[in-house]
Amino acid sequence: MRFEDIPLEQLSETSWEIPRTGGMLVPGLVFATSGMMEEIARDQALRQVMNVAHLPGILYRSIGMPDIHWGYGFPIGGVAAMDVGEGVVSPGGVGYDINCGVRLLRSNLEVAALRPRLPELVAALHRDVPSGVGSTGDVRVTGKEMDKVLAEGSRWAASRGYATSDDVEHTEDGGRFPAADPESVSATARRRGEDQLGTLGSGNHFLEIDEVEEVFFPEAAAAYGLFPGQAVFFLHSGSRGLGYQVCDDYLDVMTSYMRKHRIDVPDRQLACAHIGSDDGRRYLSALAAAANYAFANRQVLSHRVRETVQRLLGMGPRDAGIRLVYDVGHNNAKFETHDVDGRRREVLVHRKGATRAFPPGHPEIPDAYQEVGQPVFIPGDMGTGSYVLAGVPGAMRMSFGSTCHGAGRRMSRTQAKQSVRGKSVFGAMEKRGVLVACASHRTLAEEIPEAYKDVDTVVDVVDRAGIARKVARLKPVAVVKG
Amino acid sequence: MTRRKHRLLPHTADLRVEVRGKDFPAVCAASVETLFSLLTDRRRVRRGERRTLAASGGSEEDRLIAILRKALLLLYVDRFLVRDAGATMDREKVAVTLHGETIDPARHVLYREIKAVTGHGLAVLGGPSGVTARFIVDV
Repeated sequence: MRFEDIPLEQLSETSWEIPRTGGMLVPGLVFATSGMMEEIARDQALRQVMNVAHLPGILYRSIGMPDIHWGYGFPIGGVAAMDVGEGVVSPGGVGYDINCGVRLLRSNLEVAALRPRLPELVAALHRDVPSGVGSTGDVRVTGKEMDKVLAEGSRWAASRGYATSDDVEHTEDGGRFPAADPESVSATARRRGEDQLGTLGSGNHFLEIDEVEEVFFPEAAAAYGLFPGQAVFFLHSGSRGLGYQVCDDYLDVMTSYMRKHRIDVPDRQLACAHIGSDDGRRYLSALAAAANYAFANRQVLSHRVRETVQRLLGMGPRDAGIRLVYDVGHNNAKFETHDVDGRRREVLVHRKGATRAFPPGHPEIPDAYQEVGQPVFIPGDMGTGSYVLAGVPGAMRMSFGSTCHGAGRRMSRTQAKQSVRGKSVFGAMEKRGVLVACASHRTLAEEIPEAYKDVDTVVDVVDRAGIARKVARLKPVAVVKG
Repeated sequence: MTRRKHRLLPHTADLRVEVRGKDFPAVCAASVETLFSLLTDRRRVRRGERRTLAASGGSEEDRLIAILRKALLLLYVDRFLVRDAGATMDREKVAVTLHGETIDPARHVLYREIKAVTGHGLAVLGGPSGVTARFIVDV
């Protein structure tokens, strides 16, 4: 079968191979159904899977998740693991929003009981949690304090009263990538980040209150502390301007490196450097520092959510019971150990719009989740629903311990805005039973549910393909957007 | 302000832009104006201050993206909004002069956050009717 000029071989109901052609060093592997593949093939995403397969040192497959769509360099929803000796690291394989990610906070509250107070609560969260274009927070970090944020991530947040030890324990890598070197982050990047800690940002970033609608895997739901009817808080944000600037800074560095070392790639946004080179190592140190900033950012946001909910409802921390289930990024490059061609080896895994999904028994997940696997959060669109998944062993075999990260866009922003011209997005959301507070009506129009693929279908693919397992479905009841 | 020199091309997630100018400096200036048109209503920006950006060396694409990245930093670091731009060329160096002012929250609304101008799909194409630039901004 071919879509446009791209050859595809269907491997199963939910997976496809793009055979090696031209300069591809490995084949492509895309998780999707036939119906989804027709939509995926409409833009450049499959071509980008092929482009990534050209990167020096790539192992096994250039992988696309079912929420794949057109990115820059890598597709969004792309995974690539590199040989540590011969391979490269590419900022385009991580994205501008370094360690953009999602965290889920559970609570002792039930949506049915909370519903009468929801309008007040949404208004208060919209006021207390800074969001929108260029939003600034009340936590200003410069100089040595910024160094601590960049080096310590969630641990910095704990040292300043924004996090509990339980929060730190339930964050990927304990909320701190140890390779961080604050010196590798430019003055410009620091400047962009100095007043953005604890801000949501805009675009597809959000704070949601969701109801646990259905549980599919009771043991995992119990381990994660989830039950039907429960109110949970869902946060999506990243490293803000600091991370964007780190990416830009190092794209320049990598472009020069490639010229010097005569590395040829099909897209200038795939600029890269060998992992062991000075430039490669410096980028990885800066990436880790930006990732730590993102952990700290989401932690300060969580602190604001707790404060606001507890104050408004007149509850103490114990009664409200707002505790972190987990925090996991979906734009990263990390050293991990995987079996490749029957050999256990250390590799650098790039995940751009893909979530780490480690299985039960993996040493890098919290003790509380050892029996059921790492929690994975898949936000859908703001009107339909989202999912909690669990990591499974299949992901280690097929996708370097990775799964999807969202529903994936299917409509351009212009199309989305045109489709709602003259209509009330607020009204439409209210009919779905979702209260919305937002900083920009333009952003809201761009983020309408119809702009995204069907999250149920996307999650069904990863569940059937065996790269994650459904735990629970969440239904949005209130959304705060930037 | 002159008639629109840019149009949006289809893109699933981000904003893909095509900009036209009579020559390379003109397309650089129009690209900066376009970037700020994606960010705000430029008609509300006063021509109070002047800034200059320059880029030299490399290909036309290299110089264009360097100018656009610097222009974006004017907003995010200096909080400067651009009303209009003009450009000149001296050998390989393009210099873009910008007029605008510091953001005044009472008068200026920012439409969206642009994370970066990407190098993906970046192109500067010459033709009989002038120069066309295409680039994608990450939003």
